[in-house]
Amino acid sequence: MATVPKQIDVGSDYKEKYGFFVPEDYIFKAKRGLNPEIVKEISWMKKEPEWMLKFRLRALEIFRKKPMPTWGADLSVIDFENIFYYLKASDKQSTSWEDLPPDIKKTYDRLGVPEAERKFLAGVSAQYESEVVYHSLHEELSKKGVIFTDTDSALRDHPELFKEFFGTIIPPADNKFSALNSAVWSGGSFIYVPKGVRVDIPLQAYFRINAENMGQFERTLIICDEGSFVHYIEGCTAPIYTTDSLHSAVVEIIVKRNARCRYTTIQNWSTNVFNLVTKRALVYGDATMEWVDGNLGSQITMKYPSVYLMEPGAKGDVLSVAFAGKGQHQDAGGKMIHVAPNTTSTITSKSISKGGGRTSYRGHIKMYPGANNCKSFVKCDALLLDDESRSDTYPYNDVDAENVTLGHEATVSKVSDEQLFYLMSRGITRNEAETMIVNGFIEPFTKELPLEYAVELNRLIQLEMEGSVG
Amino acid sequence: MPFNSQTLEELSLRGEPDWLLDRRRAAFAAYERLPMPSRTDEEWRRTDVTGLNPGAYATLEHANGLKQDTPDLPDGVIFEPLSVAAQRHRQLVEPYLFSTVHPDGDRFSAFHSAFFTGGNFLYVPDGVEIEQPILRQHLSHEGGTTVLPHTLIVAGRGSRFYYLDEYIGEEDEAAGYRSGSAEIFVGEGADVGYVSIQKWGRHAWHLADQRARLQKDSRLRLFNVTLGGRFSKTRVEASLVGQGASAELKGIYFASGEQFFDFHTLQDHQVGNTTSDLLFKGALQDTARTVYAGLIRIEKGAARSDAYQANRNLVLSDHAKATSIPMLEIDNNEVRCTHGATVGPVDPQSMFYLQSRGIPAATAKRMIVQGFFGEVLGRIPFEQARTLVETELEARLG
Repeated sequence: MATVPKQIDVGSDYKEKYGFFVPEDYIFKAKRGLNPEIVKEISWMKKEPEWMLKFRLRALEIFRKKPMPTWGADLSVIDFENIFYYLKASDKQSTSWEDLPPDIKKTYDRLGVPEAERKFLAGVSAQYESEVVYHSLHEELSKKGVIFTDTDSALRDHPELFKEFFGTIIPPADNKFSALNSAVWSGGSFIYVPKGVRVDIPLQAYFRINAENMGQFERTLIICDEGSFVHYIEGCTAPIYTTDSLHSAVVEIIVKRNARCRYTTIQNWSTNVFNLVTKRALVYGDATMEWVDGNLGSQITMKYPSVYLMEPGAKGDVLSVAFAGKGQHQDAGGKMIHVAPNTTSTITSKSISKGGGRTSYRGHIKMYPGANNCKSFVKCDALLLDDESRSDTYPYNDVDAENVTLGHEATVSKVSDEQLFYLMSRGITRNEAETMIVNGFIEPFTKELPLEYAVELNRLIQLEMEGSVG
Repeated sequence: MPFNSQTLEELSLRGEPDWLLDRRRAAFAAYERLPMPSRTDEEWRRTDVTGLNPGAYATLEHANGLKQDTPDLPDGVIFEPLSVAAQRHRQLVEPYLFSTVHPDGDRFSAFHSAFFTGGNFLYVPDGVEIEQPILRQHLSHEGGTTVLPHTLIVAGRGSRFYYLDEYIGEEDEAAGYRSGSAEIFVGEGADVGYVSIQKWGRHAWHLADQRARLQKDSRLRLFNVTLGGRFSKTRVEASLVGQGASAELKGIYFASGEQFFDFHTLQDHQVGNTTSDLLFKGALQDTARTVYAGLIRIEKGAARSDAYQANRNLVLSDHAKATSIPMLEIDNNEVRCTHGATVGPVDPQSMFYLQSRGIPAATAKRMIVQGFFGEVLGRIPFEQARTLVETELEARLG
């Protein structure tokens, strides 16, 4: 009765489905390595204003000075000098699908982007390496005054709005990788939703890394004006190369009063990508920020989406799912920084480790002095599918406020024998039963996704689970 | 008496054997070498010891622990001051002493190991059961002094007994340095109940390590009560090294005034089929602060382990602050681990319910606090200790 996908070998399928790569044909490819000349070249290629060049060079200085973080995952293997920091794939942005160069089109065909458009999605903005090459925005949205563009264009076309917020939420000096991103950033999405406007259909962007040893440093800035609503979805894949790639993004979000923003990520980088991302949202009075964060791919992920609750009534929500297979370490979680009184936050983390993979929940709840009457609840559940795998929980709490309620709960377990027995006694095979249990385990996450992403995620989990448990 | 190497020799002249003097010397070298913990060390990030100089309270008090109705001990049981036992029963003491409380762990552990004075050694041979609990009181007689008792318990196979350490100081005596560490070795199939009640004066600095090692099929029920001290930092750690071992670690604390309490706990499952169950409950009032940080560690081969860890804090005033950090490191899938932590004020609904029944607010609040502690008081392993703790809490709740 249960519908079960047919047996597919995970590794070979990934290669076919996502692991393809087209021969490199770049108009501009910066030299390997990191120095002021490269940064100047990137800025010159993009014809950026003077202030942005200065910003980049200052960030590079900061990156040089900051030590590598020693907590969390082992990052010592990253060789910053052996990475291409900027590639430009085609010389102008295309406005329709037909105009795209054929090899790029082929890449996206396999990702199913045109289908996504056929499904009448609001806007598709796909990042092929560093520049957004394909971009369409629903007319209705432009009429409402919504700006949805790539970050480079935003710097050119909306300089005032851009300068007001860019780098103010995550300054270059925030951490080593935000400094790196600030120095060499390229691409990403820029969204502005005017007062009172609700964007009912999710805005989507698809990021891909194609070239070997390529760094991906996109920069996303979302501004939700008062009373507005937007749901932004990003998905990430990369083909498999023998050498490692680095993805280090910065995502800045401002949610003004009474607004609501939801940011959904499905991260499925190939398992030699280092994924080191800084994501932060500032939330004002009675506004809500929701991070829905799924991490399935990459070799190492270190990502802790955070919410700064700036005014009373602000609400923050992180829903995080991590799946670590062989050789993977997912160090993920969330941060809730209560700056104002009467603010609330929840973090729900679900993680699954198998085949020697390691998942770590790392979170931080901070309540500043004066941020009284706040409530925060953290729940972490972990499933360990075999005895080689590992799961850790590191919740940090700093409470300096009065009359607060703080709760934390975590469980770590394996697939329970009773559940397995029950399902198998109904004639379901062990493998199917285990897959069902795992899918049930992450259901709170999948039910928050738009349908096509939920289907995709379930399928990915099924692929990961095939013949792997027991 | 300054804390230097000469003091060590003098301590040793009181009849201690050479091997112990060598250990004191090594610990003293570690003490001189190790820096004060700084705020950048994760363990000390929320715990401020900048005001503490362990060498400042230059008088050492010798607290061997007052005898209190010690029951008639069965043949073969050794119960002596630690310095005496070190001389008379070297083969029993030497392998265990400071084997879990490592002198080179940090500056304070080193200080304790170098200058410990007093404390007791209890050895219960295989198969011996003692019905009456063994009670020990460690007193500080004046402020401004240093009191460093150390308890060493070795439980033979299949033995069973209860032990209580009570640390007592005058409520308002001047500041001094206090420790009260215990090492407990639970042999195969043994069953040990250990209770410590810390009620030093309200100005004291207290730093202690309570560490236990559990062999196959053994059981430990440890209960920590922390009430005294201006500053109190206690590590409670159980290593489960034999299959079928089970450790129950419970604690209560009540912090008022300007008291600061810090607890770091570790449930270390080194082998499989082991169980640990930890619950620390605390109430805070006035401007008191507490920090709880606990770790469950399930090592690679430790399949079919079951671990539970919870820390609950009841914050009775707007200015009191409780920090709770429960952590897990799980390296095996055949396990069940659960942990939880809560920090919150008295539930207004419970208050409303009681007051609507005509109970005045102060009494209602008190009843809620009593109920809060009630859950864990029942887990105190023996009657005398339970009565003692209840009386003490009663007095403090006012």
